[in-house]
Amino acid sequence: MDIFLQQLVNGLTIGSLYALVALGYTMVYGVMKLINFAHGDLVALSAFAGLTVYTNIFADGGTSIIAVITVFMFTAAIIAVVGVLLERLAYRPLRTAPRLSAVVSALGAGLVIQNAIMLIWGPNMKIFPSDLFPSTIWDINGVVVTFTQLMILGISSVLMIALYLFINKTKMGTAIRAVAIDQDAAKLMGINVNKIIMIIFVIGSALGAVAGLFIGIYYRGITFDMGWMYGLSAFVAAIIGGIGNIPGAMFGGLMLGLFNALISGYISSAWAETFTFILLIIVLIFRPTGILGEKVAEKV
Amino acid sequence: MSKTNMIALGFLVIMGVFPFFADSAWLAVGTTFLVFSVVAFSQDIILGRAGAFHMGHAAFFGIGAYTTAILNTHFGWPILATWAPAVILPMTVALITISPIIHLRGDYLLVATIGINIIFIQVLENDLFGLTGGPNGIFGIDVVRVFGFEFFEQTHMYYMAFILLGITLFIMKSLDGSKFGRAMFYINKDDVAAQSMGINIRYYKMYAFAIGAGIAGAAGSMFSVQYSAVSPEAFNVLQSIMFFTIVLVGGSASLPGVLIGTFVMFVLPEIFREFETARYLVFGLAMILTMILRPRGIWPVKFGNIPAFLKKDVK
Repeated sequence: MDIFLQQLVNGLTIGSLYALVALGYTMVYGVMKLINFAHGDLVALSAFAGLTVYTNIFADGGTSIIAVITVFMFTAAIIAVVGVLLERLAYRPLRTAPRLSAVVSALGAGLVIQNAIMLIWGPNMKIFPSDLFPSTIWDINGVVVTFTQLMILGISSVLMIALYLFINKTKMGTAIRAVAIDQDAAKLMGINVNKIIMIIFVIGSALGAVAGLFIGIYYRGITFDMGWMYGLSAFVAAIIGGIGNIPGAMFGGLMLGLFNALISGYISSAWAETFTFILLIIVLIFRPTGILGEKVAEKV
Repeated sequence: MSKTNMIALGFLVIMGVFPFFADSAWLAVGTTFLVFSVVAFSQDIILGRAGAFHMGHAAFFGIGAYTTAILNTHFGWPILATWAPAVILPMTVALITISPIIHLRGDYLLVATIGINIIFIQVLENDLFGLTGGPNGIFGIDVVRVFGFEFFEQTHMYYMAFILLGITLFIMKSLDGSKFGRAMFYINKDDVAAQSMGINIRYYKMYAFAIGAGIAGAAGSMFSVQYSAVSPEAFNVLQSIMFFTIVLVGGSASLPGVLIGTFVMFVLPEIFREFETARYLVFGLAMILTMILRPRGIWPVKFGNIPAFLKKDVK
């Protein structure tokens, strides 16, 4: 039972990271019908950018809440700018091209980001500082919960609820949903489609950036090519939940995180990805559009 | 002789005499180029012709390679005898694994096929039946022997790969005019219209996967003999992405396109090997730029919406 509860805690933590990354995929897919293969590499870039921001600005001053918040805000801003540039340079010129051309462009963009990280920070693993969050640990009847895990769960939940409210309750959110349903009709209603797509990339990249920083803080070791596997898992999570569906991405992320943790705890972590994809294929056989369904009418 | 045939003949002549001018390092690159272009053609049958978004082709390539490696090193089969299983096994695996997911729409199929590739790699690395040699792979694969002759030299490997490419080109050419090829064109252009004409989409897509996997398996067998070793990283998802990209950068359903794609994606990075660190950065930029400037590939199919075999009849 202890193993089960422990893996539950770990799984929810990893799951909320997947969910944050999955949101970026699902929003872009919902509006542009494009698998943004570079998104995972943006997540990796965020971990490295965060490392540099932290070590350069707060090298000696010790950690304060303000310092941590600044690191998060600053890194998220950098990654958002990169995400917007990515859309502008690699995806916008291909919006009317055959769909697979944009996929190749996305793969190319991922390659560029990955190798840029390698050129700037080097090919070796970097260690993320451990003092961003206090290293408090609670031991509840043998189940270990760290402060970092609570922060990851808390901040991700807040961000996801905020995003849900933004998409569903604000004028801008309505515009985003309109563009997802029909770009031409949205244009006729006076919505600036390019601006909406830019906002989607800002939000998606910033959420990915937060996930990237959390990955750095939680796992400590970061490598230039780690984005690919996180990205792929997150995309699988988005599909399991129902692509284009925001609650679906959250649900899919948490579910995949829990599933992975239980597989690692009870079977073997060497087979984790195999089980991930078997789960995906089984879900797709029985629910071809994901568990919560593709949101065709309200795709965001 | 038409212009296309001239170019094709020129290509075959250049590739035919290439071993007389190349040193051994470039001969190895040339051989791998031939093997990879065979795999790229088989990817093109699935992706370019049948229009199925398939990003796990390295798995079928790898199953062919591992079939030859395992049968040869563990069971002592001569290489020649492993050729048939190296074609049939990937075909069978493709039929079994793809048939439950063949109905999935574009991007879903793409991610599911990536999954098949990842599962294949984990089976290899975890050494499931004690046959695959784990992360190190299998060493010491024999050379091809026919009636006491041993084909062990680089040049032998090159010409074996050359013959394999020739056979593949013949198959590709035959496909164009066949019932299968015509059905593919319609499915790719408009699957609803094709279905209403009585074309069984599921059947033909499976057919494409089976042929594609079989050809990739043959190439894999050749690949394992060329390097006399196999290891999982030669067949991972990055390789699949490379084959996928080759077809789209070159021009899908276009024979010269796929060859150019293979050259651009595989040989060019070898030429720029000195710029080790920066080359993949430039490479990624080149992929984006190619797609922006030529969204249908460097050498797209020429006939537009009318298949070539229909045009012939009109004349």
